[in-house]
Amino acid sequence: MEVSGLNAWFGDHHVLRDVHMEAGEQTVTAIIGPSGCGKSTLIRCLNRMHEEVRGARVTGKVLFNGTDVYAPDTDPVEVRRRIGMVFQRPNPFPTMSVMENAVAGLKLGSRLSKSELRQRGEHDLRRAGLWGEVKDRLDQPGGRLSGGQQQRLCVARALAVEPEVLLMDEPASALDPSSTLRIEELVEELKDSVTVIIVTHNMQQAARIADWTTFMLNGEVVEADATEKIFTAPADQRTEDYVTGRFG
Amino acid sequence: MRPETRSKFHNELDQLEGEVVLLGAQGEVAVRRSVDALVRRDRELATSVIDGDDALDERYLDIEKRILDLFALQTPVATDLRLVSAILHINLHLERVGDQAVNVAKIGLATFDLPTSPVILSHITEMGDVVCKMLHTAIEAFERRDLELCLKLPAMDDPVDQLNRGMYTEVVKLANEERLLEWGIRMNVVARALERVGDNAVDIGEQVGFLLTGEFREFTDASHDAT
Repeated sequence: MEVSGLNAWFGDHHVLRDVHMEAGEQTVTAIIGPSGCGKSTLIRCLNRMHEEVRGARVTGKVLFNGTDVYAPDTDPVEVRRRIGMVFQRPNPFPTMSVMENAVAGLKLGSRLSKSELRQRGEHDLRRAGLWGEVKDRLDQPGGRLSGGQQQRLCVARALAVEPEVLLMDEPASALDPSSTLRIEELVEELKDSVTVIIVTHNMQQAARIADWTTFMLNGEVVEADATEKIFTAPADQRTEDYVTGRFG
Repeated sequence: MRPETRSKFHNELDQLEGEVVLLGAQGEVAVRRSVDALVRRDRELATSVIDGDDALDERYLDIEKRILDLFALQTPVATDLRLVSAILHINLHLERVGDQAVNVAKIGLATFDLPTSPVILSHITEMGDVVCKMLHTAIEAFERRDLELCLKLPAMDDPVDQLNRGMYTEVVKLANEERLLEWGIRMNVVARALERVGDNAVDIGEQVGFLLTGEFREFTDASHDAT
């Protein structure tokens, strides 16, 4: 993915300013920065979720495999299928069963038979590292799973429609430490097949899982580099001050 | 300006930096006193160097423990990570400097009743002076974050290496007299100890270079010696 000259507003509030960013295929890119710096807005611009908010608008380019996501003839629904998203709070459909949740996206856009759906559901629950824990309660409501399991169920649901990019907006911030580590492990496994862009408040999480890290401040990208460079010898003093906690 | 968010961590880091600077001063004094004791045949001074090493080791261990605590509890990054890593390494080098001072002092005590060679003593004195200056320079470069200053260390080390290599030839000249030769062989070990102190000072300089640039490179490489 390649972002160039991206600006975003909520009404008069200019939240992203001339953002440039790249995310290579099958890599994990973390976006870090203080609250309100525009991290979540940036990833919501990548799959055209930002425009769903009343008064929000975007200018600039988001290229995905060479195609402009914001071109007039681009279908936003197709964009969101190819660029999936997992949110901060696990949001499975509470009354649907675990299996129904996993295949919810597939049901909408395909004409698969019941057994095919079940096979695909199992496949994606396995990819999300959840199968072993839920295989005996596939018919129970998804809302009964633990927080960490619900989040992995959301990952399975996002994977079911075979996205090429997975956007994750602080996916572990509402989880306990062991569920957080499980999500991190999952990201590491997923990057063999999916490009992951993850927003995180947790700098150590970025350090642990990301190949590339982008630091944002006041709606601008200050620095983007290999993660080990950002956390050992960042080039910009503002990055240095942020990652070392000299400002929050 | 947003507030500093890790003041407790940064205060501890400042304190540790101060501690390692003090350890540097202790090491420098120990080396200087050990050479003085050897040259002046001062038994009391030599003994005080040996006894004083416990205080040096105590500071070394305290710094080491506190650094490990910072790694475990504070997960330092960027400049902080490089500073914590540099302190850890510099601390170890300085502990070894202290050990070399003890070696010199012990050899002094063991050789006070043997005859001496004025040439060799002058070489030992010169080596002691230079390596103490090198230690001082390395620690000053660390305190001042002065890359240019620490890059001077390899050149400062050259005469130390030359004197160390020349020591063997000087000792061989004493071969006709058994007790003098025995003393000379011990002085060869002293020269080697002082040469190691010089290397430790260069290594400290390399850590300062890493701290300042984020890239580690050896100033000198023993396996690819130009001479």
